[in-house]
Amino acid sequence: MRGVQLSLSKTQKLRLETALEKLESLSSTTSNNSNASVIVADTIPINYEDGVLKGHGTSEMDGRVVATICGVVERVNKLVYVRALRARYKPEIGDIIVGRVIEVAPKRWRLEINFSQDAVLMLSSMNLPDGIQRRRTALDELNMRSIFEENDIVCAEVRGFQHDGSLYLQARSQKYRKLDRGQLLRISPYLVKRRKQHFHHLDQYGVDLILGCNGFIWVGEHVEAKDDMVVDQMIKSEQENASLSGSVSSREQEQSHTSVEIRQHICRIANAVRVLSTLGFMVTVELITELVDLSISHNLDIHEMLGAEFYVIVAEKEAERRSLATKKR
Amino acid sequence: MVGLSVGEKHFIKGGIEQDLRTDGRKRYTYRPIYVETGVIPQANGSARVKLGATDVIASVKAELGKPSPSYPDKGKVLINVDCSPTAEPAFEGRGGEELSSELSVALQRCLLGGKSGAGAGIDLSSLSIVEGKICWDLYIEGLVVSSDGNLLDALGAAVKAALSNTALPKVQVASAASDEQPEVDLSDEEFLQFDTSGIPAIITLTKVGKHYIVDGTSEEESQMSSAVSVSVNKQGRICGLTKRGGAGLNPSVILDMISVSKHLSEQLINKLDSEIAAAEACEEDEF
Repeated sequence: MRGVQLSLSKTQKLRLETALEKLESLSSTTSNNSNASVIVADTIPINYEDGVLKGHGTSEMDGRVVATICGVVERVNKLVYVRALRARYKPEIGDIIVGRVIEVAPKRWRLEINFSQDAVLMLSSMNLPDGIQRRRTALDELNMRSIFEENDIVCAEVRGFQHDGSLYLQARSQKYRKLDRGQLLRISPYLVKRRKQHFHHLDQYGVDLILGCNGFIWVGEHVEAKDDMVVDQMIKSEQENASLSGSVSSREQEQSHTSVEIRQHICRIANAVRVLSTLGFMVTVELITELVDLSISHNLDIHEMLGAEFYVIVAEKEAERRSLATKKR
Repeated sequence: MVGLSVGEKHFIKGGIEQDLRTDGRKRYTYRPIYVETGVIPQANGSARVKLGATDVIASVKAELGKPSPSYPDKGKVLINVDCSPTAEPAFEGRGGEELSSELSVALQRCLLGGKSGAGAGIDLSSLSIVEGKICWDLYIEGLVVSSDGNLLDALGAAVKAALSNTALPKVQVASAASDEQPEVDLSDEEFLQFDTSGIPAIITLTKVGKHYIVDGTSEEESQMSSAVSVSVNKQGRICGLTKRGGAGLNPSVILDMISVSKHLSEQLINKLDSEIAAAEACEEDEF
C-alpha cells in the first residue's frame, strides 16, 4: 500500500492490518496459490506435465521456472507470465482510453496516455464539428485548435498499432469527445479491468464516470452526447444571443459553474477512486457507488473520506465482501 | 508540472468559489498531516512531514561556533532549503535554485525575525554557551522530496518537528582566563532538549479569484494570483510575513488574510503539537 501515508492510531493500525491479512489469505486460498505474488528468483508453481509456455518475466533455471521480476503470476491457458505491479499501460485494440493532448502536429494530435510512447489521434479519425463526412482540407488543418488544444482531455478508442509500435486512436463516435467540467484522476492501469462498459452515466448523481483502461479516470458533470448538427445550431444561436446582450464573448464566462450538489457527488466519487487506488483494490463502478453510499451512511464529510478512518472501514468492508463471496462458492 | 485544460481550470476555480475543492475539502481545511521524527540518525534532530503528496525532510545539525561580535549573547541559526530533482524533473541541476532560495528566505523571515534577533520564533539567547566566546550554531536544512503544493507550510512544520527532536549535548565549560578560548567538554550521555514552544507555524493563504484557500495542491496553486504566508506562534503573535505572486493586493485583503491565518493557526499548532508528540512517542517505542 504505497502512496499517501496515513497517521493511524494504534487501534486503526490493528484493524487495517487484520483486514489486509484476511484479504491476502483469501486471495491465496481461492486461487490455490496459483496467483501468488512472486519476487525475483522465486519458483513459479506449475504443473510440469502439461507443456507450459514461459511468458514475460519468467526464465528457466535448473529445470524450474523462476520469476525474473517482482509481480503477480498470471495464467492464460498454457501461458504463464509475471505481471509487474508498477508497469505502464499495455494497450489493446478497442480499449477506451482517456488522454491529454500534449502537442498539435500537422494533421494529428499527440496524446499522453501513460504508455511508453505518445498516442496519435489523426485528424481524419475525428468527427468534424459540422458532422459532414468529407475530405479534410487545409482549412480544417489550420482549425485543429478549435477542436482540441494543448492540455485538453480527450476520450478516444485504440484503433491499432503501427509497425514501429506507435499507437493510433480514433474518436469517430458521439461518445468520444473533449472532456471538461470535471476532474481527471490518475491511478495504476492494472486496477481497471477491461469490461463491456467503460462509460458510466450515474443517474442518481448526474455524473459521468469514464474508466479509461490506461488508468486515467474522468469524473465530471453529465453532458449529453449531442448530435453535431444540432450542436452547431445551438452554438450559433447562443452566440447571437450573447452578442445581442453585449456580454463578454469568452465562452467560460457564459458557461456557469457546476452546481454545488453535482460538485459534491463528483468530489465523493473522486475520493472513492483515490481510496480504492491507494488500497490497491480493483476500480469498478459497483465498488465506487458502494463506497460513496458507505461514506454517506457513515455521515463522513467529503474530505474525511481521505482520512485514516475511512481507509480502515473500506479495507474491512472489502475483506468482508470477499469472504462472503468465497463462502457462497 | 502537468498542464491543465481550460475545463479543468474552470472546475478548480468554480470549486474554490463554492467552497468545495476537488478533493472535497473546504477552503480552510488542511490535508491530513503525517509527521515522523528522527529520520536522519546522524543529525542532531530531524523530521519528515507529509501533507498529502507533498513530502519534505528537515534536519538540524549543531556545531560549536563563535558568536557574531555585534550580538555576543546570541547563537546563530542558518536555514537552507534544497529542492530535490525527485520532486520535479525541472529541479535538476540549477533549475530548482530559484524556488530553493525563495523558500529559504521565506523560512528565515518567518522563523528568525530581524537582524538583532528581536521577535524571532527561535530564542537565540538560549543557544549561547559562553557569552562572546562560544555559542551553538544551528544549521537547519530542508529538503523537498515530493512537491504537491504548499511547500512552505510543510517546511515550517518539518523545521518545528525537527527542532523538537533536537538534542543538544550538554556542555561542560572549563573555566579559563578571560581572553583565552575556554575549553569545552561535550557530554556524550546527557542531552538538552530544545525548547520549541515559541516556534511559530507557517500558514500560507493562496488567493484564487476572490477567495483564499489554505494548503493548496499544485494544481490549485497554478491558478493562484498571489499568496501570503504568515507565521503565527502559540500566543497568537505574528512572527513573519511573506507575499508571493505577481498580482497586487488591496491592503484590506491582506489584513483580512492575516486575521484568517491567525484564526487557523490555533488549530494548526494544536494539530502539529499532537502529531509531533505522537511521532516522538512512536520513535521511542521503536527502541
